[in-house]
Amino acid sequence: MRHYYLYIMFIFIGSTFLFNACQQETYTGPLPEKIDFNFHIRPILSDNCFLCHGPDVSSREADLRLDLEATAKAVLDNGRRPIHAGNWSESEMMRRVTSDDPDLQMPPPEMNKRLSPKELALLEKWMEQGANWKKYWAFIPPVSPEDKTFAPLPNTSQKIDYLVDKALTANDLSQSKKAEKAALIRRLSYLLTGLPPTSIEINEFVESENPDAYELLVDQLLASPHFGERWARHWMDLVRFAEYKGHEFDYPIIGAWQYRDYLIRAFNQDVPYDQLVKEHLAGDLLDHPRINPDNGLNESIHGTQFYTFSENKHSPVSIKQEEADVFDNMIDVTTKTFQGLTVACARCHDHKFDAIPTTDYYSLYGIFESTRFALLPSNTGLDAFAKVDSIEAIKRKMRELIVGNKGETLSLYTPSPNIDAVERTSIPTTVGRSSESSGIPQKILTNATSANKPTIIADFRNGTLNSWTSNGLAFNNQNALGEPIFNKNGKLVRLEEAKVSSRILGTGMQGALRSPTFIINREKLLVRAAGEGAMIRLIVDNFQLIQAPIYGSLEKIVHEGEFKDYVLDLSMVQGEKAYIELLPGKKTSKDGKGHYYEFEATAWIEATYALLFNGEQIPPAPPLPSFTFTNKSDAYLHWRNGIANPAEIAALNQDIRQGKWRQNTIPFHQLNQKIQTLAQNLYDTTFFQAVTEGDAQLSPVFIRGNRTTLSETKVPHQFFDALKDYSPTFSAKGSGRKELAEGIANPKNPLTARVMVNRIWHHLFGKGIVETVDNFGLQGKIPTHPELLDYLALQFIEADWSIKKLIKNIVLTEAFQRSTIPTKSALQQDPQNLYLSHFPVRRLEGEAIRDALLAVSGDLDKTLYGEPFEIYLTDFIKGRGRPRNSGALNGNGRRSIYQTIRRNFLPPFMLTFDMPAPFSTFGKRNTSNVPAQSLTMMNDPLVQQQAEVWATTILEKQASFEERIESVYLTAFARKPVDKELADAQDFFKEQAEIYEISASNLFEDKQVWADYCHAVFMMKEFIFLTG
Amino acid sequence: MQNKNQYSRRQFLSLSKNGFGGLALFSLLGAAGCGEQTLTNGLGFSDFGRKLPMYPAKAKSIIFLYMDGGISQVDSFDPKPRLAKENGLNPYEKFKVDATQFNNIGKILKSPWDFKQYGNSGMWMSDLFPHIATCVDDIAMVRSMVSDFPEHTNANYFLHTGHGLQGRPSMGAWMNYGLGSDNDDLPGYMVLDGGLIPPGGLDNFKSGFLPASYQASILSAGATPLANVNPMEKNPALQARKLRLAKKMDASLLGKLGHEDQVNAAIKNYELAFRMQTSVPELTEIKGESDLTKRLYGFDSDDKHTSSYAAQCLLARRMVERGVRFIELTCPNVGVDRWDQHNNLKDGHMRNAHAVDQPVAGLLKDLKQRGLLDSTLVVFAGEFGRTPFAQGKDGRDHNPSAFSIWLAGAGIKGGTVYGETDDYGYRVVDKPTTIHDLHATMLHLMGVQHEHLTYRFSGRDIRLTDVHGEVIAGILA
Repeated sequence: MRHYYLYIMFIFIGSTFLFNACQQETYTGPLPEKIDFNFHIRPILSDNCFLCHGPDVSSREADLRLDLEATAKAVLDNGRRPIHAGNWSESEMMRRVTSDDPDLQMPPPEMNKRLSPKELALLEKWMEQGANWKKYWAFIPPVSPEDKTFAPLPNTSQKIDYLVDKALTANDLSQSKKAEKAALIRRLSYLLTGLPPTSIEINEFVESENPDAYELLVDQLLASPHFGERWARHWMDLVRFAEYKGHEFDYPIIGAWQYRDYLIRAFNQDVPYDQLVKEHLAGDLLDHPRINPDNGLNESIHGTQFYTFSENKHSPVSIKQEEADVFDNMIDVTTKTFQGLTVACARCHDHKFDAIPTTDYYSLYGIFESTRFALLPSNTGLDAFAKVDSIEAIKRKMRELIVGNKGETLSLYTPSPNIDAVERTSIPTTVGRSSESSGIPQKILTNATSANKPTIIADFRNGTLNSWTSNGLAFNNQNALGEPIFNKNGKLVRLEEAKVSSRILGTGMQGALRSPTFIINREKLLVRAAGEGAMIRLIVDNFQLIQAPIYGSLEKIVHEGEFKDYVLDLSMVQGEKAYIELLPGKKTSKDGKGHYYEFEATAWIEATYALLFNGEQIPPAPPLPSFTFTNKSDAYLHWRNGIANPAEIAALNQDIRQGKWRQNTIPFHQLNQKIQTLAQNLYDTTFFQAVTEGDAQLSPVFIRGNRTTLSETKVPHQFFDALKDYSPTFSAKGSGRKELAEGIANPKNPLTARVMVNRIWHHLFGKGIVETVDNFGLQGKIPTHPELLDYLALQFIEADWSIKKLIKNIVLTEAFQRSTIPTKSALQQDPQNLYLSHFPVRRLEGEAIRDALLAVSGDLDKTLYGEPFEIYLTDFIKGRGRPRNSGALNGNGRRSIYQTIRRNFLPPFMLTFDMPAPFSTFGKRNTSNVPAQSLTMMNDPLVQQQAEVWATTILEKQASFEERIESVYLTAFARKPVDKELADAQDFFKEQAEIYEISASNLFEDKQVWADYCHAVFMMKEFIFLTG
Repeated sequence: MQNKNQYSRRQFLSLSKNGFGGLALFSLLGAAGCGEQTLTNGLGFSDFGRKLPMYPAKAKSIIFLYMDGGISQVDSFDPKPRLAKENGLNPYEKFKVDATQFNNIGKILKSPWDFKQYGNSGMWMSDLFPHIATCVDDIAMVRSMVSDFPEHTNANYFLHTGHGLQGRPSMGAWMNYGLGSDNDDLPGYMVLDGGLIPPGGLDNFKSGFLPASYQASILSAGATPLANVNPMEKNPALQARKLRLAKKMDASLLGKLGHEDQVNAAIKNYELAFRMQTSVPELTEIKGESDLTKRLYGFDSDDKHTSSYAAQCLLARRMVERGVRFIELTCPNVGVDRWDQHNNLKDGHMRNAHAVDQPVAGLLKDLKQRGLLDSTLVVFAGEFGRTPFAQGKDGRDHNPSAFSIWLAGAGIKGGTVYGETDDYGYRVVDKPTTIHDLHATMLHLMGVQHEHLTYRFSGRDIRLTDVHGEVIAGILA
């Protein structure tokens, strides 16, 4: 392993600075005994050869591939093989990489790149040993270490230590000693909860003689509700969490904060990671969504909110380009977050280094094209569904009361004999729901024969949904045909005609009804509709921020009770794909910002048909679909069974008009009252932006990434080529997100568990086993401890993907508990501390620093969840879309995770301390060192304010000066001061008091001096670093 | 602290080229805590070191005069007599019209301004810029600029970062990543906020995935020029003593830790921050400037926007004197929106031009008379141009297919007109020049070959110029 380390150093710098001087030298240093293709050879080939001889055909030279064994070892035109197993001197590659002839030399002279002597020696030895080729390491499933000592070790933590120590030994490194208890509790508390330990917790732990005290502390911190806050924020860096869309005016991503709360709950409840994966990718499609036991709400569906956090613009000149940019971001984030793969690199060409063809990219593109952005109700859960069931049961009862099921005619009509016969069979549960039959195939829509003939998209007067789909409670996923309509007095006046209606369960129901996707082949869209506080929206290429200029015509407000024709001008979006959305809610603005929505309690929308047409003349209604009415008794029966056609309903309505329904004998009024009461409780005022399922769209490959040059064939929905064995076959219907989720969450998938355990390791040790936590590809780093990575991954899966168990096992190791003080050998041989001989010194993240300020001062409000708090506005926060109102300087004491993330107005304190801008996956934050950080701690009003609050808190409690200083040290540094520090503090008070001209008698009680002292403590590095 | 390191990195690079051993210095730099990402990511930093060609740099500093909103090229720098001849005609009958942002295409619209020739070079310029017109012999005019984006935010990101979406490092960040600052006490990348932060917000000036050290410091005209730069203590000694106590504690911490670069670097950082409390106010203090100088910039203008932009331009010169690498000026808020005249072109462009014309000319002249123009590159550019036909009646919509920018100063061949548009100024017909080309040229003049300034992110070695960019040789001296 020592060789390996040296080797890494050479990869970084060997060929760069030193090579020119020693090109002709022969390497005489140590080499690994057994050369491993993955860890020693492939990185050399990747860095030096693959750009022109790798997977990407577009940049390939001499038609030669060196990334595949077959071609790399095949005979060339000159009779030699690039790689010659058994004899390197026969190898064409070796000839070229050592040649000085500019015509032969590889890499070519203009690359200004030569292999180092060590690299050459590795290649030679590898060929001598038979040039053994292996699949890329990250695509090989993890295996347990083959080690006789390893297996019998009693627990996971010891096994982890064994593997860490093994690497230490191999590199002649020794372990630092165990950290002091005070340092440990501070380390643990910050790393697990993001908050400092309280002085009580510190004293208890430090003084405890219980040998299990450490483990008990770990359990306690893992059970803390603040654990979820800390780890949710880590995850939010991956999914570029933002609550606003950026671009010019920073429009809102509605309900984004609900996703943050979902994460906090999920981490606190230790939801298995594979479940979390499925919820993110396809939480709306799970057969058994996770229900929150406290309120009966669907948790799983919140996972899909992560899709919506991208930057979005209004009025893009090319709507298709906007879609491509949004999807590119979704592809980038999805693949990096869950697989550690940079699939976005394959937008324009096959990945230049990894086995990721463009088809991987455009398969995902098609998957996202088949997914629809949607507003979903937040508080509609089991309770609401139970109410809907009750409403439907009541309606069923009404029908039964009229038509009967016991043989007697009940109240009205003379039954035909066969009513009885059928009555015996049970009433289908789908009563009231029209079957979905007559959807219009897309090809009919796109291949209209005559340009002047309107294309009918849907005619709901046929009593069906025409393959439209609804989400939420509006529309109840049915045609309204045959629904009983009551007047104010509770009298049944008629049965509803055929149409779609958002108020089948009552007005104000949230949700939307959406058409299948079609291609716009006419100048205009007509929707015949009526409603109140509602909208018709045409979603073109999944574009959401509809407004003028350019796209204002793609939506219409519906606010008239009478049916009329709503016409949308489509001239700007000819030939694009689109779907219609009927929304019983409307766009509004809040705090001066547009693109919010509201669903008023009185809102509703109904529609009878939609068609595309050309010209100025508004086409008349299409001919009514014709239906046959045979006899009334069948009509009644059909109605009761929910399969009556419009003609039959008309016949029934005739009966009603003629007073044949003797309503006195049936408690319609009462039943209707019940329905109304139930429906009122269904009204939901909160919602969030997430996704719902669309119909399957396949994308062609955009050649060279250009949306105007498309491949002839389209890419089917499929899993990543290199991992294709791990996913189920993709259905031809729907988006394919479910299959995608199953492929990623598959325990056999070699990346999923490795990537996640590595992220957890990174957050605990400050550095991943694979340091490039978001990139497990060839351009990423190779693992420092491959066996350990594999072991952790296997262990993680075996322990039911439990994040808490994994964290516990890691923090119980000796490696985690080591002091930050390095040994001499570590400083010399492993200055980067790759092998963890000591614990790394770590600077706290921006969130933890701000939270610590609040926690030590006593200002911290530990409330969990809820709407975000606004950023505090300064003169330096400006630009278009600036928030109207400033938040409180201290954010009302709330933890940083609850601060609003406005894409164009990111919180300055957080940015200064390296919170990433939310545009891509950031599994690893920078740790920069900039003067703005010092200036913040010196002069930021928040820091000054918190020093004053802290001073007040300190003085509120009766105590001696020494006791107070001791409490400051405990709170800020989790340790007690030494004598010298006490003396320094005393001197400081005296000096400061001198300037303020405070008398000696009062000096240790003066609030201003205390505030100055607390401020100085904030500026000490020990406050923002984890040391000891 | 980090400035010093970056500067020494440059020295170091030239050292290593001259054959000094690199390894020891390399680890020294690693210890400095700057560019940590580069070091740990491997190739980015060393690539840079190996490939940096070390051209003799023409420019030490760049002043980027950002003309937010998109100046109309046919009303400023690119005369088109045909527009007058065909004024009021239907553009669809004359040429193919592209989709525009506002989709409100009116008639062909002649320029409300006259064009004249100026200087020895006889360069054409409209009456919008009478002062800048007196500097044409120092200016290279590029009339053939094209951009990829017709929307402000994307075009802004593109112009500033070489990429149309949020998140990439700004050109100023790249310059500092490559070159560092020449001043120990001032950040190397400063944005002088004239009043309008462009669409896309502060992300136009961020360091993206580069370490935060490279992001812009935003200077405002207010009482606090830079966020948190003014101490809140009433008496400087109060702050000094707090810092002294902290430093004492830090020293003992460092003693306990044995060896800790990161903490050490953070300690040093406080010293820089402390110095900035003086250096920044000193920078912005212009009392010592002569009246003559101030008048040259237009301090005495009746137009308060002119005088405020004059102050910004003067500050830019003071930054150049202090070795700030990259300085950007944003536009003043003249009350009719920035250069984005979708209607009322005449009034809007007039007001915007009046605010910047004299100060910019004053800046060029002042730099020249102080001998600084030879080592300072001045770039005057918006994010795109405007349409030769009207939007509505009297506005112009966005046009990314042709616009004019100019450069002056270090390494620039004054009096040059480069590239050509069609008879309407609608599209480029000769020497199309991209934003990437502009960036490549700016880097070139700073002594950096743009292909070699890379940073490894997301599995790629990313450049300011992406995979494009050619130096605009035709405008170089």
